[in-house]
Amino acid sequence: MNDIKLGQYVHGYSLIHLLDPRTKIICCTFIVISILSNHNFWYLLAYLGLILAAIKYSGIPYKSIWRSMRGIRYLLLITFLFQAVLTPGEGLIQLGALSVTREGLSIGLINLLRLVILFLGSILLLMTTTPMKLSAGLEYLLLPLNKIKIPVQHFTTIISISFRFIPTLVEESIIIKDAQRSRGASFDSPKIFSNIKSYLAILIPLLASSMLRAEELAEAMDSRCYGGNPNQYRMQSLKYRRVDIYLIIFMTMVLFMGLFLG
Amino acid sequence: MSGRAENMIQLIDVSKEYKMADSCRVALQHINLTISEGEYIGILGLNQSGKSTLARLLNGLLKPTTGQVLINGMATDSPQEIRQIRQLLGMVFQNPDNQLICPVVEEEIAFGPENLGLPPEEVNKRVDWALELVGMQEMRYHAPHLLSGGQKQKVALASVLAMQPRYLVLDEPTSMLDPLSRREILEHLCRINQENHITIILISHHPEDLLDAKRLILLHEGSIYMQGTPKEVFKDMEKLKAIGLKRPGLYQLIQQVEEEGYRIDDNIKTIPQLVEMICRI
Amino acid sequence: MSNIIDIKDLSYVYLPGTPYEQQALKDINMVLNQGELLGLFGGNGSGKSTLAKLLNGLLYPSRGKVRVCGIDTSIKELRNELWKKVGLVFQYPEQQIFEANIYDEVAYGPRNLGLKEAEVKSRVYQALEKVGLLPETLVNLSPVKLSGGVRRRIAIAGVLALEPEILILDEPMAGLDPLGQELMLDIIKKRQEMGTQSTIIISHNLKDIIALADKIAILEKGSLLFYGEVAELLENIDILSRFHLELPDYLQVVYALKARGKRTNRDISNLDEAGLELIQIISSQKGN
Repeated sequence: MNDIKLGQYVHGYSLIHLLDPRTKIICCTFIVISILSNHNFWYLLAYLGLILAAIKYSGIPYKSIWRSMRGIRYLLLITFLFQAVLTPGEGLIQLGALSVTREGLSIGLINLLRLVILFLGSILLLMTTTPMKLSAGLEYLLLPLNKIKIPVQHFTTIISISFRFIPTLVEESIIIKDAQRSRGASFDSPKIFSNIKSYLAILIPLLASSMLRAEELAEAMDSRCYGGNPNQYRMQSLKYRRVDIYLIIFMTMVLFMGLFLG
Repeated sequence: MSGRAENMIQLIDVSKEYKMADSCRVALQHINLTISEGEYIGILGLNQSGKSTLARLLNGLLKPTTGQVLINGMATDSPQEIRQIRQLLGMVFQNPDNQLICPVVEEEIAFGPENLGLPPEEVNKRVDWALELVGMQEMRYHAPHLLSGGQKQKVALASVLAMQPRYLVLDEPTSMLDPLSRREILEHLCRINQENHITIILISHHPEDLLDAKRLILLHEGSIYMQGTPKEVFKDMEKLKAIGLKRPGLYQLIQQVEEEGYRIDDNIKTIPQLVEMICRI
Repeated sequence: MSNIIDIKDLSYVYLPGTPYEQQALKDINMVLNQGELLGLFGGNGSGKSTLAKLLNGLLYPSRGKVRVCGIDTSIKELRNELWKKVGLVFQYPEQQIFEANIYDEVAYGPRNLGLKEAEVKSRVYQALEKVGLLPETLVNLSPVKLSGGVRRRIAIAGVLALEPEILILDEPMAGLDPLGQELMLDIIKKRQEMGTQSTIIISHNLKDIIALADKIAILEKGSLLFYGEVAELLENIDILSRFHLELPDYLQVVYALKARGKRTNRDISNLDEAGLELIQIISSQKGN
């Protein structure tokens, strides 16, 4: 009943939506590697263009992306300012005891770009991939870790249970908040202490019900013989098409280009 | 081996105690009970009567303190046999929200069969079958949190049925549902019992839920207080009243009429049916 | 002022202007007198919980007016005033308990009102008594270890301690065993006997409501299907035929007889009389 939340899946039939989740996860990994291993401003700018084009192509309105960007605007600003001010080098502008340096500006800008690219990339992944496909893709890609005795299935089960219960938890917290509000709890009082108390009045019941839920879930899983088998049924939904392969080849090229430029 | 009975559940002198910091609570004492395959059993009791403990003993979520619980001859406290027991005996719980594990309905139903290690084609077949059985085909790709309470409970039912159990234990499956969903679930149980020959063990604190049972077991303070057909159990009003239970209005009417010397058919399950029958005498 | 609730042409739309837009309530008109008990009945998604939130200002009307105790609920500044007058107990309120002992839990609301501790104390004790708990032995206990039924009564006491003129209970019986339901009925009846306090019970169980309510409102898909006194409802064949399986047992008999064209010879107001009527019918048929 609430607004569309940050990174929530939005149904669609664009090429990006129809890509195999493994492709999208691999591409995101490539993005992380390329932008972290590269300092070239123009390369990063080109990368940003690439992602913006992909977003345009996916049919997700820029407006909703922009709104979610606003959520991290302070983080971005602080990163930029710190870098700009704290990097030693040729001073450009003097701000009291601090001086903004040329080197600081350029490093700040590069890191800002990196953060924005990372953020947009992951938002795009989440908004165009259903939770089920996402966890199927993850499970498939992580499966080799089983060989070195890392229980991948338990890990992906945890992820999929989180996907299942986040909406329920949100609903529940809204109900509890309403209930405490109608007992006079205020969440925007000028007194900090009473705000903290009001939030505790939500968090404590939420925690209690989550513990109970965990217990009951464990029973339900046990009674259905959960043992951590690979989820073949889920992975059935995975299918590579030609476009997936093209995209991976393309992204590999972009990655190597970045490595050489860097 | 003698005494190893196939095709039935046996509780042999079962007691269950919960140890607490400074005390000990007896949840069940000296229960002896046999349930044959294909039966429809109702277990009635108020809170703290031990009925949830009984349910959890049946599929080994709890182990008896003394005595033995045997499912088709397999003891629930044997670690080697627990998997097979849980495959034979499925459980549906009270809270529809806290027993759905997966983010999509079809995965939820596939969860059990997957854990049994069945091949994907077989899993697929069972998902289709179970969804159809509870009439939820259209919800296949929905997320559980978008369903109503009644729909969630039907998904929970389907997800257990997909494991193709012989016995189905339901611990207050309707207590959080509206009357319409409640009736739907009860109808499904009746059908599953009659057409698929799956044993139903339905636990409830509402006498009205248990009118379809062939045998009614009334638990009180951890012991079997009364046992018989619903008609027999609900006849003894005084005994019910003594433990704070009211009998369903239907059975009061039936008794009132029968005391005048008219015999009422055992198949009458609702008041409209009773009135219709009387008008036809 | 006898109209404690006055709803005029009320409509409510969720998330207007988005693809998720949804009309939750449509053109509701309703008046409730002081001291009356209103039963609000409806299925999933009928809008009954939305209506409750509109009554205590958690939501504002999209169109139309809601006046409660003379207060226009759409005025933001009066919301605090409104919360003192309208107590809302949500579904499964025992899940909203958060304090470490019962006293503090029940005192949470009164303290938020800014009352003096002596007044808070007397309200806590009175509220616990109203829900059938003995305050002296209880107040220092932790609510965690108590049974669900007792926890629910504590949660209700937490709202009663605000001494609301209107108490709204959302599914107060849900999930309780017959004994717990009996106790809940007692609490509601006691409040009703005071004669001046109004109560609204929201439920998907018509049986519970008919036994208690003065007036009944039936919501369906956001529209008011019926609003009136219980006696009027029992005359309304169209509605009864839809919900006849959800009537109290004796009324099911009455309705089933009516539906078969049988005229009842007596005034049936309980199950015994319904049984006598059935016996009468049998003997008269045998006589023919």
